[in-house]
Amino acid sequence: MNQTVSDTPNSNNADVRPVRGSNSTVSRIGTIARNAFREAVRDRVLYNLVLFVLLLTAGAIFLGELSGGQEAKIIVDLGLSSILLFGVFIAIFVGVGLVHKEIERRTIYAILSKPIGRGEFLLGKYLGLCLTLLVNVLVMGTGVSLALLYVKRGWDPLVIRIWPAILLIYLELAILTAVALLFSSFSSPALSALLTFFVFIAGHFSADLKTFAASLGGTAARWFFTGLYYLLPNFANYSQITPAAHGYAPGATTLLVALLYATLYAGVVLAAGTLVFNQRNFK
Amino acid sequence: MTMQTDAIVIAKTAQRARTMGLASVLLLGAIGVVLLARWIDAHPQTPVIATAQEDLYVKPGTAKSLTLAFNGLAADWYWMRSLQYVGRKVLRYQDSNPGQLSLKDLSDLDLRILPPLLRLSTTLDPQFIAPYEFGAMILPTFNNEEAIALLTYGIEQNPKTWRLYQHLGYVYWQSGNYQKSADLYSAGGRLPGAPSWMSEMGARMTLEAGSREAARQMYQHLYQESSDEFVKQMLLRRMLQVDSFEQREIIRRALKEYSTRNGKCPTSWKDIAGTLLPHLRLEPNTGAPLDPAGTAYVLVKGGCEVDVDPRSQVPYR
Repeated sequence: MNQTVSDTPNSNNADVRPVRGSNSTVSRIGTIARNAFREAVRDRVLYNLVLFVLLLTAGAIFLGELSGGQEAKIIVDLGLSSILLFGVFIAIFVGVGLVHKEIERRTIYAILSKPIGRGEFLLGKYLGLCLTLLVNVLVMGTGVSLALLYVKRGWDPLVIRIWPAILLIYLELAILTAVALLFSSFSSPALSALLTFFVFIAGHFSADLKTFAASLGGTAARWFFTGLYYLLPNFANYSQITPAAHGYAPGATTLLVALLYATLYAGVVLAAGTLVFNQRNFK
Repeated sequence: MTMQTDAIVIAKTAQRARTMGLASVLLLGAIGVVLLARWIDAHPQTPVIATAQEDLYVKPGTAKSLTLAFNGLAADWYWMRSLQYVGRKVLRYQDSNPGQLSLKDLSDLDLRILPPLLRLSTTLDPQFIAPYEFGAMILPTFNNEEAIALLTYGIEQNPKTWRLYQHLGYVYWQSGNYQKSADLYSAGGRLPGAPSWMSEMGARMTLEAGSREAARQMYQHLYQESSDEFVKQMLLRRMLQVDSFEQREIIRRALKEYSTRNGKCPTSWKDIAGTLLPHLRLEPNTGAPLDPAGTAYVLVKGGCEVDVDPRSQVPYR
């Protein structure tokens, strides 16, 4: 019999019942993702964050008056930085709880007793949070664009030109979510959050790691830091907030490569997470 | 049974007493806070401009590393801090010195952390043009080297931004280095997107760098390009000053003519009103010529010399 996780709004992942014609992996992952999304959306903290950033954007309009004619730049800087910062908090704090909650509530037993692979479970959870972040980023980005229209009293090219930078922020968050899931597959939420936050910080310094490695004399140390550079995600490539505030948008090639890198990196991290999660004994 | 009832009554009484006690502490505490706040407001601390308060502890390079992806936001923060810093200093100065602030020399304001603030802002976001523009206007009045260093860094970081050449040209022009100024205007004029007047200014700087017409044009172009209200006001007053210099030359000629003809200086403006009328606006009652801001000029040195009224918008010094 074909079975999958229920997608009824008021159920959690433990409510598993047959769903007609949904025997494919994609369908099972999709169902888990939908449930993860619904669960995150039901989380009041998430709504508060969205509201808070919208308020922050409104605040930027007043802050802009203190800026000596630089309102648009400050709104873009403040708005996009807020999108990144709040996105990071959501990715970390919701991300590390995705697996842990299921274990704590013991609903994981019900889910994994069904024909659902652990990899499918992890991937579904990941995609669910990515969808939540996408909605979040889109709402916030629209807020920034509307704030720009308000400040400029009409159309301004920045309204469009900030969107490639927003896409890069989203990709950075997608990578970070995968990292959060990897850590949460084998450690406690607090430690996972700490480690993920560390990766976020280190990811912005990874270019310095490469420079540092090149400056080292010893071969072992050089190899170690070069390895660390490739191991950590290079988030500097996704930091386009400041250029966006000046109206510079990254080219299509940059965006495509960034998308490819994010997909590959997240894929590798999730595969590693699945490997660890597969070894985990829930008895 | 009675004992149980008594115990309940005692417990309830104790509970009520605790609630009342807490409420009293809350009320008294709130009253205390309000009274204290009122006392603090009534006894403001003497403003001490301590040097320690005015130091910046973060070096620009360190700040850039620490801000991760938020360097643009940090640059905005330091930019707004620069504006607030200058504004606060100007207000404080005007409170303690009711006379006009000299536009040529802002060293009285003691803007010691303005250069590092602007350096921080531009290191965090090298494409942020506003701090360079602000620095070009303010820094030369008390520290020309800092202004040149800031603008030179700006050009290094943004070699195709003609406005930075304009600003650095202005800084050199102010310091009297007309050749360097001309070179910068010409170099900026060759950049794509630069207006044609940049090259024209370059040529004019070579031929008549110290002329008032060149100064007026320079101020006009800077005024048109600026988006900062403080800078605009400063430039507007500079333009008024240039106009006033020309007006005062006309008045001086009239004063000289009068004293040559009569062997003495005029006792009132009415004595030379007829000579001035074709060239200047005059006050109907006194015949005093009006400066570009609409305030009457004053006769000084026994009527032999003219000066700007200290209350005028035209810079006094």
